[in-house]
Amino acid sequence: MKSHDLIIVGAGLAGMRAALEGVKAGIDVAIVTKIHPLRSHSCAAQGGVNGAIDPKDSRESHSYDTVKGGDYIGDEDAIELMCHEAPESILEMDRMGTPFSRVQGGLIAQRAFGGASFNRTCYAADRTGQVMLHTLWEQLVKAEVRVYEECSMLRLVTDAEKHVAGIVAYDIKTGEVFPLRAKAVLMATGGYGRVFLSNTNATTNTGDGMALALRAGAPLADMEFVQFHPTGLLSSGILVTEGARGEGGYLINVHGERFMHKYAPNKLELASRDVVSRAEQTEIIEGRGKNGAVFLDLRHLGKEKIIERLPQIRQLALDLEGVDAIHEPLPIRPTAHYSMGGIRTDMHGASPLPGLFSAGEAACVSVHGANRLGGNSLLDTIVFGKITGKHCCDWLKGKVLRNFAPTEVDAVRAQIADLKRRPDQGIRPFSLLQRTAGGMNEHFGVFRTPESMQEGLAKLPQIRADFEKIHLDDKSDAFNIDLLRAFELGNLIDLAECIMRGAIVRQESRGAHARTDFPDRDDTNWRKHTLSHWDPGKQEVVLSYEAVRTVGKAEYAPKVRTY
Amino acid sequence: MPVTNYTIRIQRKRKTSDGRIDSHWKEYTVKATETTTILSVLEEIKGEQDGTLTFRQSCRSAICGSCAMKIGGRTRLACKTHVGVVARDNVVEITSQANQPVLKDMAIDIGPFFERIHKITPYLAEGPETDAVTEETAYDQVNHVTQCIMCGSCYSDCTMAEVSPEFIGPAALAKAFRFVSDPREGQKTRRLKQLAEPHMMWSCARCAMCVETCPKDVKPMEAIVKLRTRGVAKGFNDGPGPKHALAFHNDIKQSGHLNEFTLMMRTVGIMGTLEELGTAFHLLKKGKVPSLFPHKSAGLAELAKIYEILEQNPLDVETKAKEVVPE
Repeated sequence: MKSHDLIIVGAGLAGMRAALEGVKAGIDVAIVTKIHPLRSHSCAAQGGVNGAIDPKDSRESHSYDTVKGGDYIGDEDAIELMCHEAPESILEMDRMGTPFSRVQGGLIAQRAFGGASFNRTCYAADRTGQVMLHTLWEQLVKAEVRVYEECSMLRLVTDAEKHVAGIVAYDIKTGEVFPLRAKAVLMATGGYGRVFLSNTNATTNTGDGMALALRAGAPLADMEFVQFHPTGLLSSGILVTEGARGEGGYLINVHGERFMHKYAPNKLELASRDVVSRAEQTEIIEGRGKNGAVFLDLRHLGKEKIIERLPQIRQLALDLEGVDAIHEPLPIRPTAHYSMGGIRTDMHGASPLPGLFSAGEAACVSVHGANRLGGNSLLDTIVFGKITGKHCCDWLKGKVLRNFAPTEVDAVRAQIADLKRRPDQGIRPFSLLQRTAGGMNEHFGVFRTPESMQEGLAKLPQIRADFEKIHLDDKSDAFNIDLLRAFELGNLIDLAECIMRGAIVRQESRGAHARTDFPDRDDTNWRKHTLSHWDPGKQEVVLSYEAVRTVGKAEYAPKVRTY
Repeated sequence: MPVTNYTIRIQRKRKTSDGRIDSHWKEYTVKATETTTILSVLEEIKGEQDGTLTFRQSCRSAICGSCAMKIGGRTRLACKTHVGVVARDNVVEITSQANQPVLKDMAIDIGPFFERIHKITPYLAEGPETDAVTEETAYDQVNHVTQCIMCGSCYSDCTMAEVSPEFIGPAALAKAFRFVSDPREGQKTRRLKQLAEPHMMWSCARCAMCVETCPKDVKPMEAIVKLRTRGVAKGFNDGPGPKHALAFHNDIKQSGHLNEFTLMMRTVGIMGTLEELGTAFHLLKKGKVPSLFPHKSAGLAELAKIYEILEQNPLDVETKAKEVVPE
């Protein structure tokens, strides 16, 4: 049986950054990824990465903005750690080769972003994630890290003592199912955007790591907090960077009026994302939208600035919406974008399940609380990729490989055989995904009402029953994407249940979770993390709660959150 | 926008047990508008008509590089290609990328493509040539090549890769240029030396297909031309490539005409010329006979002016006209 000291699942920014720590520590580290590292969704991050690198800025100010942005449910020690490590982590990326945009004199250029009290978002035009991803891949090649490319994880395996023993992997290229033993597994599998029908995410963002961790006994935290990005393109949901507003773009309604002054009189378009998304949704609900969208107006920035600073999004809008941002406002709407929740970890990325670690969007450290600030996700990946990687390597010392029962592999093989054996007359995975994700959009969107949420949850038993009836057209071994999607769908259904249950029980509005029946934040009863657990007996998700970690600073005390 | 029926003809490919590729064309009918993307069309076919259809895809926004395939005879990203642009009489033909081994349908084996990228040492190297400061304009030179998403489109459509699998290809050379031009790179000269070796930068035929086909406007050929100029400036003039280029350069500058009679000698030497005698004989038969008496062009003064302008900035010649933004 193949084994490694550490298996990292996912080769986006967090996974690759963690792998470099493994190389530095001299341990045997391998990455398992279902797509080539350069295809990872980190590449789609456009706007930039936050860090107080300007002497006039401060790490304290960055921490404060993040605590407030997260609506006082982020863990303050972890937030301070992230903001403290930010400048060095960014400069490190620069030294590795990321071509960040510059200002005169050679310093890294920074732009304004939502919810930030300083222009602290470092960028490379509007493709910051892409150049950072390519940089870390270059370092991965340099370090000759073993990568199991196009291998999907189908199971996280624990031993009898509930300690991580490894994973069962599936080689997409050949259809081979094989065990990989490890002393520790680090989930860097990103988010689950596909659980919503309209989303900004890649089709591969199916939250595999979160879902398999849940089934293996690790808790997921704060899953009800789903960020809706204010500017997803109307027809495709594809992201238009917050940098577009950072560069001065306006939001206007169908009458051509700017409306953010009504909702965030000081920060206007650069209020935090939850605030802006609710403002847009309100305009749409009250009849001042068009075809379910409002507009992002960049025309006044002028042709030159658009082409220099926002070239990619201009092209995307041309390609996908048929609209040229130089001449017309772009139709946009709030679109599911990012998961504040994830595998619960401490501030060093360790989960309560021994041997399981997590970093990046897959994890809930929690630095983003109930609402993530733009520019903090790329930061999260490189800071906690590094910290978790390092911590994991320290933790590994003296540990031994755990017992990995061969029956685990057999069980996965049996599952696959069963899926392929089913007659071609059930339900296609695609249609069930459409139904599941459509329901999430309908019942767990920007505004949540109790009746609608209950209606959404009531559909779950049928969805689970239908999942048992899905069939595959493709029965072959090599490159069977049909099969892979069936497994991904199972993961998404588990995650949907976590989101639904968490949202229904949390009787308040905080950050991205906005309830019409409880419009205010309730710090007395709800300033706590939701933990979702898989109950194997009940075969459903059950909840528990955990206190927010605070550091006792007066300026972090919850206040009315205005922008 | 009106919805119409499109016929999507897809070359289905399967690996047989003895390693051959079994292929046939299969037609699907989908309803779409002109601006529906090919990726949406493929998703619909896979999701609702035929789950066996296989292709890679991920971001849907032309940034991950997964979904490059031959659509309407040219390699394109399915996610940014509109049906209306590639359909002929409402028919669209789709097959896998060329010049690469196929796994299944449009999913190719991406291994050989990335092996080529690995050959150029694809990471910033430490060394004596690192600049002290990275200026505001530092990346003006490399901005176009850092846009590369490694989708493989340029390699799939590369006319040189088609005849010479040893050629390292446009994407790898564009990546090499990214390092040669980065002020932080410490091994610029060593890289240029390697790039002057056979099957590297001098093997490009400058057909500009990669510039045409690239979905991210990377302009690989422009990078290749710039690499060559930098290589020659560093004195890496050995080999038929640079010799040929220099012979061209000198002829045109001096007379405005190419002295084809001696060009071969100056490029590949006496032995090389003897090897090509057969080709010369064929040319002779077709009546293509170079003049034995070189003469000077009438507009030589004008040519001198062109050279003067070009030589003011020998390193950074644009090979593609700047995009005209419609008013």
